[in-house]
Amino acid sequence: MASRVQIPTNNSALIAMIADEDTVVGFLLAGVGNVDIRRKTNYLIVDSKTTVKQIEDAFKEFTTREDIAIVLISQYVANMIRFLVDSYNKPVPAILEIPSKDHPYDPAHDSVLSRVKYLFSSESVASGRR
Amino acid sequence: MEEERQYSESGEESQIQELDEEDQKLQHQCQLPGAEEKLVLQFMDSMHSYLSLFDELSSALRQGWFDLASARHSMGASRVNSSLLDLKFHPAATTLKITNSDGTQPSIILRKWVSSEHERTQLEDENVQPQDSSSVKSSAEVTMAKNFSGLADNDEIQKERSKSLSVFGVLISPKLRASQLSFERALETLIEIANMRSSLLYSFHQLQKVEDSKEL
Repeated sequence: MASRVQIPTNNSALIAMIADEDTVVGFLLAGVGNVDIRRKTNYLIVDSKTTVKQIEDAFKEFTTREDIAIVLISQYVANMIRFLVDSYNKPVPAILEIPSKDHPYDPAHDSVLSRVKYLFSSESVASGRR
Repeated sequence: MEEERQYSESGEESQIQELDEEDQKLQHQCQLPGAEEKLVLQFMDSMHSYLSLFDELSSALRQGWFDLASARHSMGASRVNSSLLDLKFHPAATTLKITNSDGTQPSIILRKWVSSEHERTQLEDENVQPQDSSSVKSSAEVTMAKNFSGLADNDEIQKERSKSLSVFGVLISPKLRASQLSFERALETLIEIANMRSSLLYSFHQLQKVEDSKEL
């Protein structure tokens, strides 16, 4: 049985981004960019030179920071660290997988939908009939 | 020390008691006729809304990328790229407020274009005035259901928007402004998605608990 997790309230939380250049630039135009005193940003621009380790480290950092409420991650980037994304189950920050220019949104790979899809599988229906 | 231990133990006990009471409440509710169907409908509605919102998001993002590409074409690739991004210390102009009003799932509210000066003034006002329901309603924060920006003054919003655009120079393409508006729309949809996600997961967990209680 799932135990209730304490959800911290926050009046001024940030949106973190792990996505391609155009997506990050676009959302920065919308005013979500934050640079702290240590010059740490709330985004990681993923390009052909970005390694999986860098993406993993950014994901771990953003999901452990207390000032971040939502982590936006392009779905194709999330697929590179799928095991990490699927094993994450805290309510805050919320992980939202978004489409990118070259990779449209695929509900089959969405971590939230894959968690709930067992309700629609034939196995669960069959077990109910036994 | 012993007193503190006693207090923490009693705190944990009351939390466990709360959980047990919640489960008992859920079991009792599910015994009512039509309760399980209601949970299933709630879950299906959340799922449907979640997927529809993703369509809206894809549409807003596509428009944003297209406008950004048009701006890059007219202004030049060297004037619209990530190397121009401001890496000096600056707070985000658009932030989020997380509340936990019903105690079961988080609720996220978007606060668009809230300048640091306005926020400081707002916090000073909140400290001076007693907190009651009318002051909460009159504050600059409005829920996403109404889809308003988090700042009362339109001039302030335009000022913050221009500040954000100024990273790419003074003379900018109208397509860059259009791209900014598209991404703002995408952001609003994302907040709705985030709230729908928590509603979806909550209904799913409720259904799981009902299934588990049936198996026992």
